[in-house]
Amino acid sequence: MANKNKENLKINQQDYNKLQKKYELKRPVWQNCMRAFLVGGTICLIGQAIMYFYIYFFNFTEQTAGNPTTATLIFFALLLTGFGVYDRLGQMGGAGSAVPVTGFGNAVISAAIEHRTEGYVLGVGGNIFKLAGSVIVFGVFSAFVVALIKTIVLMVIGG
Amino acid sequence: MEGISLRNQVRMAKFSICIALLFALGGCSEQSKSKSTETRLSLLRTTNPHPAVLDEKEEEFKFAEKLQKEVLKQPEIYDVAIIMGKKEVLVAYKVRHLQRFRMKKIEKNLTKKLEKQYPKEKFIVSSDYKIFIEAVDLNEKLKDPKYSRKKATDQFKSIIKLQKEQT
Repeated sequence: MANKNKENLKINQQDYNKLQKKYELKRPVWQNCMRAFLVGGTICLIGQAIMYFYIYFFNFTEQTAGNPTTATLIFFALLLTGFGVYDRLGQMGGAGSAVPVTGFGNAVISAAIEHRTEGYVLGVGGNIFKLAGSVIVFGVFSAFVVALIKTIVLMVIGG
Repeated sequence: MEGISLRNQVRMAKFSICIALLFALGGCSEQSKSKSTETRLSLLRTTNPHPAVLDEKEEEFKFAEKLQKEVLKQPEIYDVAIIMGKKEVLVAYKVRHLQRFRMKKIEKNLTKKLEKQYPKEKFIVSSDYKIFIEAVDLNEKLKDPKYSRKKATDQFKSIIKLQKEQT
């Protein structure tokens, strides 16, 4: 009986690949895209509504309303992360919840909550930018590089 | 607080945040009551208000009407509010949705066109919604003959200041 089983297992790699493909779960790419689109779109829709709110009720123009809108969205992300709602939203929406500024807020806040038990200075202070720090550094550095390139190009062309 | 479970604490926090938001939004609705219905709806629908003139003279009115027709000739623009001040002319307009990608170019072209046609006037051109709302608001106020012209001039100046604000 044992020998018979061993003979059955002698299959080459190509057969194994075929077998694996037959049983592996397919990644629902289109479904994920649709979910990301809907979740990301809803976040942006809320952002737009907040922006109009600031334009309409306060002395902000379209140019200046962007800053308080970002701050408000991050504040909402803070509350949702604290209450554990954003985790579920992230699980459902994937990139749709990570790409808008709320995803950035979530990265900062979740790190702060996670390391709260280690103390405020070494725990929260030391780890708060563990995930988002690289984003900030990348953003600032790439902005610097682009500005440098623009300056050099303008100097050469003489704009 | 020891007697209250964590779930109840979270519930209380959610409830207090909802109450705080309600108060904040309630405060804003109080502020919006000071604006007329036309102003309130100008963000959503086409209003095309009749041009307003601070220095009320017949020729100024005619010029403002002519200017409004001129601006509306642009295919990208569908709504315009004009206010003629003593020194400057404020032209606030809305751009058709799909043309909003070319907003800066449209503003540049319109300013150039108006300055070329009327070199004596100083134009302040803006596609900003806030400026449009404020222009409609001032326009509505100017319809009332009892409304203080000094207040209107001050409001006009504050709109121009707001338009120049960058950050």
